[in-house]
Amino acid sequence: MSTLVLSPGPAPSLEDDVITRIQIDRSCRQTVLGYYASAVFWLLFGTAAALISSIKLHHPEFLGSWEWVTFGRIRSVHLNTVVYGWSSMVGIGSLLWLQARLCKVRLPHRIVLPSTVMIWNFAVIWGVYELLAGNSTGVEWLEFPTRVLTFFGYVLLVLFWTSLTMFSRRRVRHTYVSQWYLFGSVVWFPILYVAAVLLPATGLVSGAAWATTNWWYAHNVLGLYITPMGLAAAYYLIPKVTGQPIHSYHLSLLGFWANALFYSWIGTHHLVGGPLPAWIITVGIVGSIMMFVPVITVAINHHMTMVGRFHLLRTSPTLRFTVFGAMCYTAVSFQGSFEALRSVSQVAHFTHYTVAHAHLGMYAFYTMIMFGAMYYVIPRLTRNEWSSPRLIKVHFWTCALGIGLYFVALSWAGWYQGLMMNDPGVPFMKVVEYTKPYLVARSLAGTMMTTGHVAFAILIFRILHSSSVPLVGPTLFTTMRGEMR
Amino acid sequence: MKLAYLLIWGCMIIFGMSAVWALVWAIRRGEMSDFQAGAESIFDHDEPVGKPTDTFPGRHS
Repeated sequence: MSTLVLSPGPAPSLEDDVITRIQIDRSCRQTVLGYYASAVFWLLFGTAAALISSIKLHHPEFLGSWEWVTFGRIRSVHLNTVVYGWSSMVGIGSLLWLQARLCKVRLPHRIVLPSTVMIWNFAVIWGVYELLAGNSTGVEWLEFPTRVLTFFGYVLLVLFWTSLTMFSRRRVRHTYVSQWYLFGSVVWFPILYVAAVLLPATGLVSGAAWATTNWWYAHNVLGLYITPMGLAAAYYLIPKVTGQPIHSYHLSLLGFWANALFYSWIGTHHLVGGPLPAWIITVGIVGSIMMFVPVITVAINHHMTMVGRFHLLRTSPTLRFTVFGAMCYTAVSFQGSFEALRSVSQVAHFTHYTVAHAHLGMYAFYTMIMFGAMYYVIPRLTRNEWSSPRLIKVHFWTCALGIGLYFVALSWAGWYQGLMMNDPGVPFMKVVEYTKPYLVARSLAGTMMTTGHVAFAILIFRILHSSSVPLVGPTLFTTMRGEMR
Repeated sequence: MKLAYLLIWGCMIIFGMSAVWALVWAIRRGEMSDFQAGAESIFDHDEPVGKPTDTFPGRHS
């Protein structure tokens, strides 16, 4: 057995701990804030594209004479800006900060990393232009032209290298569960990404094989890239904010390895009923059901860590967002496992039900946890305080109620839409008319979430602005406050 | 079609093998020998177990 890496010299004192933490946070400042600020810009941009798409579904004449924002283009712009703009950039920012804190080392490569913020933004801007101009590849989740996607590939390799550098220099004995998840993201996603981009680009696959690659990629983006970053943040923030170690550490590790072993199987459940060999789809369904194992471990851990501490949800913005997201992780994962079954898919597939499920995952789970992470991280990087508790509450309640309304309206509409479409006696236009009020409800929900995002953007602008309120009191730095400002 | 399946299953095997390799590595390093220490590794002297570390602005005690 090789020896464990230990901190050199005597055990660190309270003062050493504070200095180390402040130095680590300071080293992350430029890069992480760059990723976060860009993420918020793309959040607003993606939200605007979402609202336009949503309104067009019940009022098709809205902006109807402008070909750049026809539904087929603006909907892809929404998907790609929230995935590659918002979700990726906020995730990468959090990933770098978490890895630096957990390895207890300063962020390395501080010239290369800020440049990756610019490269990533450039790629998203270019990709959005191509989509608006009508040059989508037509492959969902990979709509950006391949030459745009190569820029993302470069940044992903830099992130992989940065994570390895930090891990090899780490000054802690234990590899915390969040680090396993973060390594999942930086190791698996580049492999997946290169495979999914290169294969169609070679022209060697087409038709059903292309669809298989497409959905294998699209679902793995969630499971091997987005979910690990979200869970890594939750596994750090919930114990850290409550001051309580996670309920069962061995269950958390079991959950990670179960996720690692089962998740990459499940993408083909998107093709239930499609023209593929039955065993390929069955593999996807089996993998989806196996996901109960990691999901239950995460649910037990997050819930039991919170038991007796739910009152902290009143006082901590980070906890409020993160716990909401963690609960929705359990919900979306259970729902997803059942949705993979052939009998359920027969009704839910190709309806609004799937759209509701996707937003429960990407928004109610991931985005809410990332909001929580930003509320925790940004004051520690800027050393400024959030300017308004009221705006934070507006942000939380509009987003929480908005996504709640969104999910309920579209799940209900989608399920009945599926039942009606399976009945050959129901005319198609009747199905369309039935869903219309629910689509209006979706636009209303989207407006609520937009309000929350604007409130959040105001908070971000103020805290990044030099004249904002300096940090006081225990949003963390109880000592060394004066010295390190 | 065959190439696509080869690539997909190949990648899945790589993902699975990487997870198994990491598990073996972690066990050999003794990561699984002290779960309590692992759970408490995110706390330190300044932010010890039992101390909440986040509040709404203006509600500091």
